[in-house]
Amino acid sequence: MATTAASSWSQKISAFSLSPSQFLSSTTSECFLAELLHELRDDKASENTKILLLSALQEYPNVLCPSPMTTADGKELKSIISLLLEESYLLTPVFQAALLRELVEVVAMVQALSPAIFKSQLLRLFGTVEVTLLHATLLMKAIFTDSLFTTEDENFFIKRLVGMAQHPLLSNPQKLFYMDCILHFPENRPISCNGEESLPVLVTPRLATSLLPTVFNDSSTMLCRLRLLSLVYMEADEDDDKGVSYLFDHLMALHRIVDNHGTREMTVTFFRAAFTFLSYFYHSEKFISDLTGRLCELYSRHCYLAPNINNLVDRAQECLGESSWPIQLLKALQTRIVELPLPQLTLQSFSWHLKVLGRVAREGQVPQRNTLRFLLRVLINSSVCKAGGWQLGNAVLAVCRNLLLHPSLDQVFIELADLLQHMTHHYEETDIQDHARFYYTLLTNLSREKLSGVLAKGPDVGPAKVRSLSSIMAESDGLSSCLTIHQTKQSVLQLVKVQESRMHEALGEGKYMSLENEEVIKVYQEQFLSPGFGSEVILKCHLTQMEDLEELYHKLFSICLHFDLTDSNYDEVSDVTVPCLFKDRKPPVIQLKLKPRQPYPTCLRARAVFTTEDGMSWYTQLEDVSVAFPDIFLPLPVKLDWSQESKEQLFDQIWRCTCSEEPSQSATSLYCFELRDHSLCDLIEQNFHPYLISKDLKQDLYKVLFFLPPQYHVLLNITNAEDAVQVSIVTDNWKLLPYINSYLQNITSKIEKHAETTVDVPFCRIDDVPCEIQVK
Amino acid sequence: MSIRALWIITHEKGQSGTVRFSKRYPTVERRAKSLAGLQYVAVPEDSGILHPLLTELGLTDPDKPFSISRDDCSRPQRSPALELHLEGRGGGALWPVLAIVQGGLILACVPLVEAPPEPRPPLPSLASVSQGLSLLAGLQSFLCGAGGKLEGEALASRLALLPSVLVQVCPLGTPLDTPQVGSSATAMTYSPVGAQKQPAWKSGLHRGRAVVSVSLSEMVRSMQYGSRNRQDLWDVYGSVTCKCEVEGVLPNVTVTLSLPPNGSPLQDILVHPCVTSLDASILTASSVDESDGSAFSGPYKFPFSPPPEPFRLCSYTSQVPVPPILGLYQLKEEEGQLKVTVSLKLHESVRNSFEYCEAHLPFFNRGQLGNVDMKVSSGQLEVSREKTLLVWVLGQKFPKSREVTLGGTVSFVGQLTGPVDPLCTGLTAYIKLYFRVPDLTLSGCSVDQHSVQIYSTAKPRITTSRELVSAEYYIWNSTGDAPVSSGHMML
Repeated sequence: MATTAASSWSQKISAFSLSPSQFLSSTTSECFLAELLHELRDDKASENTKILLLSALQEYPNVLCPSPMTTADGKELKSIISLLLEESYLLTPVFQAALLRELVEVVAMVQALSPAIFKSQLLRLFGTVEVTLLHATLLMKAIFTDSLFTTEDENFFIKRLVGMAQHPLLSNPQKLFYMDCILHFPENRPISCNGEESLPVLVTPRLATSLLPTVFNDSSTMLCRLRLLSLVYMEADEDDDKGVSYLFDHLMALHRIVDNHGTREMTVTFFRAAFTFLSYFYHSEKFISDLTGRLCELYSRHCYLAPNINNLVDRAQECLGESSWPIQLLKALQTRIVELPLPQLTLQSFSWHLKVLGRVAREGQVPQRNTLRFLLRVLINSSVCKAGGWQLGNAVLAVCRNLLLHPSLDQVFIELADLLQHMTHHYEETDIQDHARFYYTLLTNLSREKLSGVLAKGPDVGPAKVRSLSSIMAESDGLSSCLTIHQTKQSVLQLVKVQESRMHEALGEGKYMSLENEEVIKVYQEQFLSPGFGSEVILKCHLTQMEDLEELYHKLFSICLHFDLTDSNYDEVSDVTVPCLFKDRKPPVIQLKLKPRQPYPTCLRARAVFTTEDGMSWYTQLEDVSVAFPDIFLPLPVKLDWSQESKEQLFDQIWRCTCSEEPSQSATSLYCFELRDHSLCDLIEQNFHPYLISKDLKQDLYKVLFFLPPQYHVLLNITNAEDAVQVSIVTDNWKLLPYINSYLQNITSKIEKHAETTVDVPFCRIDDVPCEIQVK
Repeated sequence: MSIRALWIITHEKGQSGTVRFSKRYPTVERRAKSLAGLQYVAVPEDSGILHPLLTELGLTDPDKPFSISRDDCSRPQRSPALELHLEGRGGGALWPVLAIVQGGLILACVPLVEAPPEPRPPLPSLASVSQGLSLLAGLQSFLCGAGGKLEGEALASRLALLPSVLVQVCPLGTPLDTPQVGSSATAMTYSPVGAQKQPAWKSGLHRGRAVVSVSLSEMVRSMQYGSRNRQDLWDVYGSVTCKCEVEGVLPNVTVTLSLPPNGSPLQDILVHPCVTSLDASILTASSVDESDGSAFSGPYKFPFSPPPEPFRLCSYTSQVPVPPILGLYQLKEEEGQLKVTVSLKLHESVRNSFEYCEAHLPFFNRGQLGNVDMKVSSGQLEVSREKTLLVWVLGQKFPKSREVTLGGTVSFVGQLTGPVDPLCTGLTAYIKLYFRVPDLTLSGCSVDQHSVQIYSTAKPRITTSRELVSAEYYIWNSTGDAPVSSGHMML
């Protein structure tokens, strides 16, 4: 019981809020208010119902609870309004209209006043030639609906509007305005009330015949009528397509005019009319396929209409979502074009065809092989390659570009490659050749994803910048900005050398190869006969981002590091690539392969090119990478299976050889330092472990060998004498001596400093005296 | 209910156009700004309005066959309000811009939108739109006069008057009145009118003898095909223009139009706002509703209180049973020549007394007229100076038989040197008739001198006149395809 009451209330309230005056015409506001209040007091009524009732009260307080106005007040107001209306003719028509609007609002607001007060003015208003007055009457109609306008009045009014929309003595803007008014006519019983344009029920096909468009109308009137009539026939009986046929015939009459070289205005009007027709009747197969045929005919006779046709296709695709018509038209156009015999082609017409084919190539559903065959046929058999020039070449490339993005690229891969290659070799315009080659390279080298990634960037930059002549791709400069390398303002990347732990692998168990004493040096030296042996030093670095970077640089991709030499002591360093670098992840380790010609310390200039997430490419300069002297040290380059004894033997033999060699290159030297309370063993382990050949802990005797590529040796014989550690040095390159010296100083000074801080005992260093370098 | 800005622009074909006059209303603009909030689009400088407006009207870049901003097929072109896409800083779309184009003259204004800008309110919901239209129409007739075209110095002198005219008719951007052509020129005597109420549209009083002239002008248009499967069409429309010089502040005048017995009713009657009352039966007949062959056929009484300047009291349309001149036009292509046969017959109900009557036979998409071997049964045949048009001057009278004929052949020299027309290709061709018959209406509608009533002290001098003039009177070649000129007959 309660539910039925609630549903009846919801119906009542919605009817009321749809049109209060209409609703109250069947009851009185007092009655309705009393009912409302009764229901509100009723305990059985649900909360929802009560909220509904209150909303009605809130929305129309003046309608339901008229402010207490005394009868005398009401009478006075009524007499004032009557007087104003009576004397309104004294005002200018424009002002009469303004006054009417004000009075209409007053009457609508005050419940005590009846809209009938305007009744006496209605005839005069219906008959007026003044647009402002008729417009005010429409407002009156919208506000009072059937409390002032009977069904007959309404019928009469709409007839009047239709008549005025084509009256021969009214101006065009006025007629257009009245057509707008028909589409927004405030009906007494509107079917929809969303304020959208809709056809009033009263505008029947019969009534609307007088508004049928003809070729004698001016463009705006014709289009406006076409639209209105399309609405009329769309809602009319489906079996009777006489009306639609008329509209189609009209479209064809325009078609004929365009076909007979109508003016530009007429051409534009025809395409607008076609679009309007399509947007209402795209589902009607009969007319639509006819239209396709007619448009193709028109195009084959006047190919300069290509931009108009492309525009129509674009808009139809945007607006007619599910319709397949645009594709149907494009397919038909493609067929027409590719079947054209060559003698019929001129450079001019070819350029128009390219526009259409370029558009066709954007459609994934249309097979493209015919297009490519046609283009290849034209390029090979005509003078296009010689006489086409840049613009035509560019137009062909634009088609190719769309084809590169086509989903069925695989099926036309060979044809497209042929075409691009033909252009690369035969098109007599260098820029076009270059671009054809570029496209060819893209086609043959990039994956589909990358290809579409690179090419798709172009058009989204937006139509704001048009500099098509400087950028060949896709008639926009988007890609060129995408392909340009930008320079970073500050350094983005840095290389940090990896601090290698010196705890090298203990020599594994296993069988070691022992060599005969005489064989050792021979085997060792033979190794160097194989090219590149022992010539490389690997420098390991962490690649990291600098601190405090913009967020743009937090994720970098395809980083390519390039190194430049600062002297001629090294071979060129090859580029290092890193796939990606994220700020919050562990930095990758990169290996720099250095090939010294002379094993001296050096410095490398570093720079990098990378891509950010937005697809932009960047160039940045890094801090120089310094290669210190110990960075070039390598352990004795022998096979792992050499036994300890063999290594020692080798050491001794190299020592002997070097000492006995001709004095041109080799040198011996002595370096001494005070050990203080450090253990020599620790020092050796810390600094020389990988290079240690033998150690004799009892005698504190150590042999160390640094191998320096390409084939230099530094041999150290370290013994702990009574008051100092003696380092005997032998090298086969005397130029290394200063570096060895400073290296050893560097190592030993660390002990000293350490000692200074921990021990207070004064000391004297024997190496304060510069060590003696003996050159043999 | 105001307008934000107004422009008068002249535009010659192929040129960029010049803003000849512009007026902005800062107070209205301020209101527009506060009403539109974030969606506010400012009225641009004159230089910023010209190009977008001409683009929207399809008048820019005449050399470019297609331009997307001008020719996009989906651009809505269905109401008198344009949407201008502004360039430069800010950009945005200015809507609604009302524009009237007459020849090389463009009048445009931007009415104030007194509603939330989003979603865009329907045009009919904006009071200022009809005001803007009415203001523009008023300015148009002020600048061009009734005749239509006004150029050079005459236009410049009218433009020079505009500031003072606008102060009167549209102070602070609110239209109060439409400018009157005579109002600023003919000063009237201002005098105290006593207790009587002075209408706002009447600035002074007439003194002297009362003179009332009522002229009835009827235009007849026709499309004749001379073919069985295509129905010929004709209709008339007329207007009654009055000039009343009558004493008194609010004199009462009544003009009565009457039809002959069995005359078909006057339809689509539109009246001037000075008409004080209308009878319901006057408005019932409508051309869009054939079923309503209402019995009312006059008399049509129009009581009014006249404004001082000449004005159009009312206008109407009418369906008359016969066309005044029935024609037949036949062309045959024979051995590079055109064989032409024309016959014109004046209907017996039409008075055989023309002020002028000419039949024009234009030839399109062909060369110039070469050898013209024609015979006419009446009148003279002339070849126009451009040699593309035959003018058959029928003079003041048809012969007694009321039928005239033209026959013979024409040949053309030169290929396609003549005028082109995309409609008239092949054998599609027409004859256009120009005629004027004084003291006649086809509908039979008339204003009897004695039916004009003036409630005034002095005896008035009343003159009435009427005329029938041709408008768009075409006779199509019956052997060619003629374009459809009305949907009525097709459905």
